Amino acid sequence: MIGRGHPWLSLAPALCVIAVLFGGGLVLGLAGSFGMGRGDAGLDAWIAVLSEGRVWRSLGLSLWIAFASTALSCVIGLGAALLLRRRFPGQGMARLLFQINLTIPHAVGALGILWLLSQSGFLARLSAGAGLIDGPAGFPALTQDRFAIGIIAHYVWKEVPFIGLILLANMQSLGDDPESAARSLGASPFGAMRLVLLPLLWPALIRAGAIVFAFSFGAWEVPVLLGQSAPTALPVLAWQRFTDPDLAARPEAMAIAMLIALVSAVLIRAAFAGRE
Amino acid sequence: MKRMMAGLGGALILAGGMAHAQEGDALLEMSWDEIVETARGGEVNVFMWGGADNINAYVSDYIGGLLEDEYDITLNRVPLSDTAEAVNIVLGEVEAGATTGAVDMIWINGENFRTMKQGDLAWCGYVEKLPNAELVNFDNPAIANDFGTPVEGCEVPWSRVQFAFAHDTARTDAPPRSIPELLDWIAANPGRFAYPAPPDFTGAAFVRHVFTHVAGGPDALIGPFDQAGFDEVADETWEILNGIEPHLWREGTTYPTSITQLQQMFANQEVDLFFTYDPAEVGTAVVNGIFPETARSYGLRDGTLANTNYMVIPVNAANKAAAMVTQTLLLSGEAQLEKAQAEVWGAATVIEPDRASDEVQAGFAALERHPSVVSIEDLGQAALPELQADWTSAIEDGWIDNVGN
Repeated sequence: MIGRGHPWLSLAPALCVIAVLFGGGLVLGLAGSFGMGRGDAGLDAWIAVLSEGRVWRSLGLSLWIAFASTALSCVIGLGAALLLRRRFPGQGMARLLFQINLTIPHAVGALGILWLLSQSGFLARLSAGAGLIDGPAGFPALTQDRFAIGIIAHYVWKEVPFIGLILLANMQSLGDDPESAARSLGASPFGAMRLVLLPLLWPALIRAGAIVFAFSFGAWEVPVLLGQSAPTALPVLAWQRFTDPDLAARPEAMAIAMLIALVSAVLIRAAFAGRE
Repeated sequence: MKRMMAGLGGALILAGGMAHAQEGDALLEMSWDEIVETARGGEVNVFMWGGADNINAYVSDYIGGLLEDEYDITLNRVPLSDTAEAVNIVLGEVEAGATTGAVDMIWINGENFRTMKQGDLAWCGYVEKLPNAELVNFDNPAIANDFGTPVEGCEVPWSRVQFAFAHDTARTDAPPRSIPELLDWIAANPGRFAYPAPPDFTGAAFVRHVFTHVAGGPDALIGPFDQAGFDEVADETWEILNGIEPHLWREGTTYPTSITQLQQMFANQEVDLFFTYDPAEVGTAVVNGIFPETARSYGLRDGTLANTNYMVIPVNAANKAAAMVTQTLLLSGEAQLEKAQAEVWGAATVIEPDRASDEVQAGFAALERHPSVVSIEDLGQAALPELQADWTSAIEDGWIDNVGN
């Protein structure tokens, strides 16, 4: 009888899963950050975390990674989608190649980046072999580097097809009609794209970008493999605190995790509000 | 509300604690044969660092096989990248009042053991029940103290390890053999040395070597933590480590984040020196073709840190009897000898060979080591005791605040 009853009733199973697994984890994490179940509950962990320079430096790095990855993925993804929607010979093949890395896990992709870009990686050896640099170590530091180039490169490589796929699907449902109408009313091809197509695509781009932002801001496996030792991305710092042998560090780990969720939620809310 | 939740949690912990204490007490009342019968046909979940294939195979295949054949016990090895993960599981369970925990045994030492003992998460007082415990000299201070924390029957020793450096004779024929020599060597060979950033375990041990050197030896650092003594040594240590930073890999702008990364960098010739808390690992890396055959491990003249690692049974372990059977098997002369074979692991034993059977004694006497591995005799002549956990965590935090940023 799904779909026949009250919408809330039909949604109940899905909402239960979200409420218990996601909401439950959030509530427990929040309780843990206040030191509950550990004797003296209080704001100590939050005060310690928010007054620590290392946490702010990590927050800055994570914001840089997330903003840079999202912006580059959106621009390149949009460009690729615009190119791929045209009809040309071998279009099917081109689309398949474009999407193929969607199935590769992030950790595997990050290891690939390491093999490719690190100072003992493929490109470094190739450049040394070609005599461009004295030895592999002369290759510029692109992984474990100050600007998180390796991390951003990984996220862009992984998220461009994701953005592109969503925009292509969106363009398919829009069809050619809005642009054709604009052209018949005298708009140039570029004008039709800028004034008609892009505003129509904007909501989908914001939504897809928000997903990319939330992931690259909160994920642990890529910065732990490709990041430098200090500052670490915020999720790596949270994990270090969580596995610290000193149990007193656990509420701090929870507070950092809650900080990640909070910052992510506020920024994404702001992006949606800006659109409206 | 807050108070009610805390109170409820406390009551659960109390009730849980009483329930598993009873189960453990019942085992302590039994004879060894009764314990073995209780364990027979069951399973044991062993949580241990899983980063070395040869160690994993020894536990899963050799020990697991013996348990299966002799006691019909199934050994489930759960690999960890950080032992604190298992401690966290036990802590979470005990806080939630779970009396039949998922963790039956953890390979552990140092700060993690201190955490378990302080949090009453370790099951204690059963060690003399184990028949093979008599092979161990529990009066040896290196076994009775785990990084300065008294063991007091709360864990069973498994192996001894001692920190060693490694070099490639084809690249570096005269490696530095003391901390001062190393510091000079780093300045003379810019970009060719790196150490993993603490909280990496091995990187933190390297920092402790420099710290111990600055303190003029371990004597000043033995015993409980002392803030004034720490501050005096720490300032100079950070000065030295910040001083060598421009000569490190990547000018010290970043550090390797794990010992595995340093191992790869040594294998890739990005750096010229490697170090490890388990010198047998250098032999394994040569056998596996990761390191060249010319790689050699070596000790330092002024000594390197040594420690013992252990197996602990959590207070809420569901299969305590099977865990006890596993522990006594791990301590048997045959299993310790197998573990000491170079091609198996090459780990130094914790038992006194002369308390074991004649065959085991002969086996230990005939042990061959891989040519790349420094001999235990050479290394053991200068063994430094590990510092207490309060010292080690203060040094780690101090490094992160003063050097690592």
